[in-house]
Amino acid sequence: MGRLLARGALIAAMLACSGCALGPRPWEKDLMARREMQIDPYPLLTAAEEHVYFSKEASSGGRGFAGGGCGCN
Amino acid sequence: MQLNVLEAGRVRKRLSRISAGLLAATLGAHAASAQEYYDQEDPLGTRNDTFGPGVAYSQVDAALLVYQEGSGRVTAIEPTMNLAVHAADGRQLTLGLVADAVSGATPNGAVPSSQPQNFVTPLKAQGSTASVTGASGGSTIIHLPPTPGQIAAAALGRQYTVPANTLPMDKGFRDHRGAATIGWSQPLGNISDIGIGMGYSREEDYQAITANTHISQNFNANNTTVTLTLNGEFDSSSPFGGIPTPLTAMSAQWKTPTQRSKTQLGFVLGLTQVMTRRWLMQFNYSFDRQSGYQNDPYRVISLVDPATGDPTDSYYENRPINRQSQSLYWDNRLDLGPAVTDLGLRYYTDSWGITSKTAELSERIGLGGSFYIEPSARWYQQTAADFFHYYLVAGQTLPQYASSDIRLGAFTATTFGAQFGFRLDGRQEIYIKGEYYSQTGNGHPADAIGQLRQQNLFSGVKSAIVFMGYTWDFH
Repeated sequence: MGRLLARGALIAAMLACSGCALGPRPWEKDLMARREMQIDPYPLLTAAEEHVYFSKEASSGGRGFAGGGCGCN
Repeated sequence: MQLNVLEAGRVRKRLSRISAGLLAATLGAHAASAQEYYDQEDPLGTRNDTFGPGVAYSQVDAALLVYQEGSGRVTAIEPTMNLAVHAADGRQLTLGLVADAVSGATPNGAVPSSQPQNFVTPLKAQGSTASVTGASGGSTIIHLPPTPGQIAAAALGRQYTVPANTLPMDKGFRDHRGAATIGWSQPLGNISDIGIGMGYSREEDYQAITANTHISQNFNANNTTVTLTLNGEFDSSSPFGGIPTPLTAMSAQWKTPTQRSKTQLGFVLGLTQVMTRRWLMQFNYSFDRQSGYQNDPYRVISLVDPATGDPTDSYYENRPINRQSQSLYWDNRLDLGPAVTDLGLRYYTDSWGITSKTAELSERIGLGGSFYIEPSARWYQQTAADFFHYYLVAGQTLPQYASSDIRLGAFTATTFGAQFGFRLDGRQEIYIKGEYYSQTGNGHPADAIGQLRQQNLFSGVKSAIVFMGYTWDFH
């Protein structure tokens, strides 16, 4: 009985531990390693789009710095 | 039999997932063995995890942006290139180069009229060798008498005529820009990553120097990253023809001073969280403060007759010297099996009275083999700045600040696009993205006067954007 309880406690502790930290375990990060799962997989494309929006709209920044480094606004 | 083949396929997929996961988990601790793994031959070229933490490699990104506005307005061509060198211990050096050539017609800020309108701008000082930026597009050269209080040598001006019932645009707009950036980052002791960067951008009439530094820390088995970035920018504007006195009549005289500057300081506090195996989230708070010359030195605002609405004069605009802005940005990347969804939301507000909301959605779909397609949509809406006016009424007291720049007005913008990409092998990718951007706003405000009721006062743009890119990872 005691052994059963100890086993139960161990399983409960393992479950609790796996649930206490948000996010996948290291061996579950296969999908995160792919390019399309990066925060900014195409930085030049993002920069070009932000440049267009910066020069045509009043808002800028959010993703990064609000400055444009140019006189286009 | 069929079932067995399917089952075998599933097992194989699961095994490859587990092995890729194990590999990622062990890379940090066993850089040398990872290097050995990466050095192995990959004759089929199917492996796409050839580069990553613990391995020294470099990345080259090259791209070309072609931007074209409708109605013969602005055209821009912008080649860019980035080089990133990653050392096995996490140190990273990045170098970036950007050039752009912009030309075309741009609204000068005045309202359309039922009568043709003439506008004058400086051309060049007598006896000087200053080049003329684009005195083309139906302009004529005019001779000016010396004016008391102005530079005595100023004697030539450029005049252009806008036909009746047409949005006034200056067709002489032309500029070139070159910019370079450099950045360095590395782990330092217990700090996951710390870095600095600098940038320099130069146009014919504008110069910007930028500097930034960041520090980031990983927690929770690298599932949580907190990053603080500080940014600074110092700009100086040297417009062709000098700095006009705000809210005075447009003239062809050269003005003084010839240069004004602006400084900007800001920070971004970001949280990146891997929520599940299939969900990555980022949350940013940004604060910025700009101080200095923020006017568009070429832009005017019409003074109109209080009864007929006919423009009687064009005054140079004026904007407040200070501007503070804040934004919240929330981005989500979700791997939903056959497709990867990216959903980004932003809320922005500033001390000029502008608030904006942005929503972006894209869906990356594998097309089999090495091809993919990624349709995308963006919706953006902003309110007007407190000092935005389509025009000012002659005879009334002038406000302290006034601009008719539609970028400071209320409008909604949508972008629809699609990216199509092809992975040449695990190390190279080419892609092309086409987008259509369209601004819509109220061109017929309820309080329009006289002839202005018949005019479309909204001068927003519609543009087509094509972006081509190539990325290459190599040892």
